[in-house]
Amino acid sequence: MALSVMLRNAGKLNVVGLGKTALSLPMKTLTTKSTLSAESLKTLTKLNNAQCLSRTFSLSSPKMSAAKGNHTPLWTAERLISLSLLGVVPAAFIYPSQTLDALLAVSVVLHSHWGVEAIITDYARPQVVGPLLPKVAHGALILLSIATLGGLFYIIQNDVGIANSIKQIWKIKAAGSGSAVEEASSK
Amino acid sequence: MALVNEARIALNRIGVISGRQQLRSLATGKYLAQQVETVEIKEPQIKTFQIYRWNPDNAGEKPYMQTYEVNLRECGPMVLDALIKIKNEVDPTLTFRRSCREGICGSCAMNIGGTNTLACISKIDTNLSKPLKVYPLPHMYVVRDLVPDLNNFYEQYRSIQPWLQRKNEVAESKGKAQYLQSVEDRSKLDGLYECILCACCSTSCPSYWWNGDKYLGPAVLMQAYRWIIDSRDENTTERLSKLKDPFSVYRCHTIMNCTRTCPKNLNPGRAIAEIKKLLSGMASKPAPKLDTAALHK
Repeated sequence: MALSVMLRNAGKLNVVGLGKTALSLPMKTLTTKSTLSAESLKTLTKLNNAQCLSRTFSLSSPKMSAAKGNHTPLWTAERLISLSLLGVVPAAFIYPSQTLDALLAVSVVLHSHWGVEAIITDYARPQVVGPLLPKVAHGALILLSIATLGGLFYIIQNDVGIANSIKQIWKIKAAGSGSAVEEASSK
Repeated sequence: MALVNEARIALNRIGVISGRQQLRSLATGKYLAQQVETVEIKEPQIKTFQIYRWNPDNAGEKPYMQTYEVNLRECGPMVLDALIKIKNEVDPTLTFRRSCREGICGSCAMNIGGTNTLACISKIDTNLSKPLKVYPLPHMYVVRDLVPDLNNFYEQYRSIQPWLQRKNEVAESKGKAQYLQSVEDRSKLDGLYECILCACCSTSCPSYWWNGDKYLGPAVLMQAYRWIIDSRDENTTERLSKLKDPFSVYRCHTIMNCTRTCPKNLNPGRAIAEIKKLLSGMASKPAPKLDTAALHK
């Protein structure tokens, strides 16, 4: 209980106290005839004396953190990259070339980087995991994305390229099945 | 009066169609005696309700599920009817919010059978073999039992300034004349203004669960859009610029739980997408079809 109150940063509200102010103020201001009726005064004092009516409960104070910056250009760039992937991916596979492979590498890495960044922002929240871990995670993600991009460019520059590498994976045949067996039996 | 009530209960047992005819004659009071004789006592339909209980007064007590059994033959068709019946007849300590009992106030929003909805307009599942589980709105602080703490939600609603804002408030003295709005402009508010702020959508949104302190949530964002797109409102740019940070709107990942759960069948997900389009410049707010302040001149 103490923990939950602490976690909520709770402002404690006393209902009876609330009742006093809430009841007495509007009555004075709202009643057109000058005084409270005797009856309502009775009920008011009853309300104040009755212990059983007293109940405290906790409400959280609103927790609204300011977020700075303009996210709109990044969001627009994300949409444009997603859209361009629709064209770049098939193009890179139909006409394998270093230029299209480079385009593919950049757009795929950007796309996945922003995707994982959103996941980190959503789940590694300073409120829950402390102030350090989110920064570490974001830094690690940048390193990972740079390493991925570097690796992909290495394949493009010094090897057959991304599209051709993936095509090679599809050409691998399991030993003892399919056409590999047929070829072996024909020999 | 008690007699009439008894007769009503009897009518419910017999069935709606024959009941209607008898209700007509109820006014004349002729049939009452005959009616009571014809009532057959059917076997009870016992439905099990498992309801989330937590009382902050009992220090150290953890939340638990309490089981109640309700005879559906003596109960109204909606979950709220059952809750009220339990509170009246079984356990007066059961605590929940309710007011209008017809889906217009939004007080009785709770998680029923795994879905956020209004207890007053969701029918009790008549499959008696399964218990019906009732929880408070998910990922909200609980005040007691089924009563969630909506302070933060209301504060967020306040933050979008949900009222009509005009630039030239000096020339347009309030209450002097009405603002004009074309039928077409008005129709843009349909599907937005009907929101009752029950918080079902916001509390069903994972993004709102994780970042409720910075992300405004679908209900509040739909109301933000309602004022952004209102042809009479002139503070559109200011309203939009308040939302452009990475959290207020952009934590929405189009999960669409909001639209799926909305008990009023509204589409907050679409409203958020429209805000994103306006922010990015892919769409712009059209000029009002009528001169809004024509009658003030």
